[in-house]
Amino acid sequence: MIELDHLSKAYDASFAVQNLTFDVAREELLVLLGGSGCGKTTTLKLINRLVEPTSGSVRIAGTDTRALKGHELRRRIGYCFQEVGLFPHMTVGENVAITLGLLDWSPGVQQARVCELLSMLGLEPSEFVARWPHELSGGERQRVGIARALAAKPEILLLDEPFGALDPLTRDRLQQSFQQLRRELGVTGVFVTHDMVEALLLGDRIAVMEAGRLVQIGRPREFLLEPATDYVAELMETPMRQTKQLEALAGKDSPGDQGPG
Amino acid sequence: MSEQLALLPGYLTAHLQLTLVALSVGLLASVPLGVAVVRWRRLEPAVLGAASVVQTIPSLALLAIMVPALAFVGAIVSSVFGVEIRSIGYLPAVIALTLYSMLPILRNTVTGISGVDPSVNEAARAVGMTDRQRLMLVQVPLALPVIIAGIRTAAVWVVGIATLSTPVGAPSLGNYIFRGLQTRNFTAVMVGCVSAAALALSLDSLIRALEIGVGKRKRGWIAVPAAILIGLFGYTGYTFAIGWTDPQPKPVTIGAKTFTEQYILSELLGLQIARETGLATRTLQSLGSTVAFDSLVNGDVDVYVDYSGTIWATVMKRQSLPEERGELLTEVREYLAREYGVTLVASLGFENTYALGMARERAQTLGVETISELAAHTPALEIAGDYEFFGRPEWRAIRDTYGLEFGRRRSMDSSLMYQAVRESQVDVISAFSTDGRIAAFDIELLDDDRGVIPPYDAIVLASARLSKTMPQVLRALARLEGRIGAAVMQQMNLRVDQGGQLPRAVAEKFLAEIEDAEPAFPLRTSREPEVFR
Repeated sequence: MIELDHLSKAYDASFAVQNLTFDVAREELLVLLGGSGCGKTTTLKLINRLVEPTSGSVRIAGTDTRALKGHELRRRIGYCFQEVGLFPHMTVGENVAITLGLLDWSPGVQQARVCELLSMLGLEPSEFVARWPHELSGGERQRVGIARALAAKPEILLLDEPFGALDPLTRDRLQQSFQQLRRELGVTGVFVTHDMVEALLLGDRIAVMEAGRLVQIGRPREFLLEPATDYVAELMETPMRQTKQLEALAGKDSPGDQGPG
Repeated sequence: MSEQLALLPGYLTAHLQLTLVALSVGLLASVPLGVAVVRWRRLEPAVLGAASVVQTIPSLALLAIMVPALAFVGAIVSSVFGVEIRSIGYLPAVIALTLYSMLPILRNTVTGISGVDPSVNEAARAVGMTDRQRLMLVQVPLALPVIIAGIRTAAVWVVGIATLSTPVGAPSLGNYIFRGLQTRNFTAVMVGCVSAAALALSLDSLIRALEIGVGKRKRGWIAVPAAILIGLFGYTGYTFAIGWTDPQPKPVTIGAKTFTEQYILSELLGLQIARETGLATRTLQSLGSTVAFDSLVNGDVDVYVDYSGTIWATVMKRQSLPEERGELLTEVREYLAREYGVTLVASLGFENTYALGMARERAQTLGVETISELAAHTPALEIAGDYEFFGRPEWRAIRDTYGLEFGRRRSMDSSLMYQAVRESQVDVISAFSTDGRIAAFDIELLDDDRGVIPPYDAIVLASARLSKTMPQVLRALARLEGRIGAAVMQQMNLRVDQGGQLPRAVAEKFLAEIEDAEPAFPLRTSREPEVFR
């Protein structure tokens, strides 16, 4: 569905992304994983041409993305990022409908679609359509962001740490509803995160990047069993160690800890 | 007070015509320019720099500069397109005000758009907006509060600065202030200041209310201020429209410079024309010294009183005096007719000459009666002159001929000089010989014993247009030949400056007194104040 072909992006002399080649299959969710500054966000923006490549190309469903104008391409690809970027001067309903307006959907159809999307994301339409972004909680804001990204029924969804700024409970709830939703809708997705656990739980496949290059790409299980480099092994080690520590803590505390040690 | 308030509708309308047009044009120019600056950052230093430079020019100077600048442009335009551009009056004022309105709007547009949250900008691109859509749907709406703050600043500035349009010949609420300050009529000054301030605050709050309404999307908040603003614009447009389509003949326009004598004489000429010819007249007062003559030449003013020595020095640019002093008037008459088609209609019968004045006691202590005798004392003395005086050729002639070397000199408003010399705050002043305060304050005028100061006979000048088309007006004015003596003029000035009478009332009284056997026409003048037409 999405093919990156020797894609590079250089700023001045240094490469943010260098010679990247991989595919994302239809209805697959690929997680781009790596530390800050590894080029994962740039890679995402190269796909919808928020950033133009220095060399190489991106094909979507076999067509080079440069065949379309940038804004026309972006109307067909959902995009959702950590800061959400809701338009503060528009209501929730207007925010969700923005791309529909750009695509000249009729007002009635827009309205129905907005309601459908809000319910899909667990936001009661009658309650939320007329609300202002500043009246929402962080989790609600992110749900509206996802609704806006999905509004025009895109086949592709790009997500840049969408749950990064949320508290753990809200994040967990949103991760689950997102996972369910994208399977139902059958969208193809690229999901950027630096959170190992999130990557392992959400991704059909994971691609690890380091310093603008692809280090390893494969199924989550492969990363746990056969890390390709020390860096990847180190990345995997942290959640594993934390899991063990948690188990140990639970084991020690549960039977005997009735009074001070 | 009620006499002053009667003038309010006219001045207020004229003020609105200046400010609303300047603000609208400024707004329409500045916002797109601001958007362009945001888009092409390289323009920023040039555009904002230019706007800031305009802002640093003192407003009175900017307005005054517009007159010669426009005359220059007008000369080119009229030779290329054959269209006449008026270099005094409404046009220079509105251009200067427009320039003034631009900086705050421009700067706030740039700041507002640059200040839009980067994540919102990114979202706008990501949802598939073109650059233009991003600008119109996201950046401008989000920058709007900041842009509106700029418009409000501009509105308050422009309303205030518009009061300075008076000296370039555009009537405004400033007419109250200029005339009031010169004739020491503080009621007029107060009416001018209070109404300008009220207008500024009203415009500011209207725009503010509109902003709140748009922000909150409340119909009532939007509808009320919008209706009032539309009403103001509509009214202003309507007044322009009647100005253009008015079938009535243009009233005879009488100009006046910015001092008491001129206000009185302009009223006096107006009354004389009205009663002799029955024609409608209007006065255009508080014109800058050279603006008055320029207006006469280009026909914005039909008649005004000037002084032969002033024309000799500043218009004819002559240095030395003719041997026979009487020849000066003849030469002025011939020169004006030849060069400008302007008619010297009458010499009123008095001179208003520059003279060096001192408090009598002080002059006696020093034993000074002539300027020659003063010369030796000057290093220890301070002289005060009106704004023009030290820049005028007459001053250079006096200074160089007598070898005056004053220890200090000070420019100040002519209406305050007399008080200053009486109270010994300065030693010598450049007095106007007809000022009533000379006698009232016991000021001694020093004798120009070497005959340097040219004669300043008060002369009535009529424009080429008036001379050709309305000979009856010239005849009416010619009857004033020699009718006003120096003592009479001093007395009339004193009545206004110290007695608190209105220039018009003083002029009426004078005409009633000189009324002899001649049959009087019923008085009929247009008291409609000087609305721009």
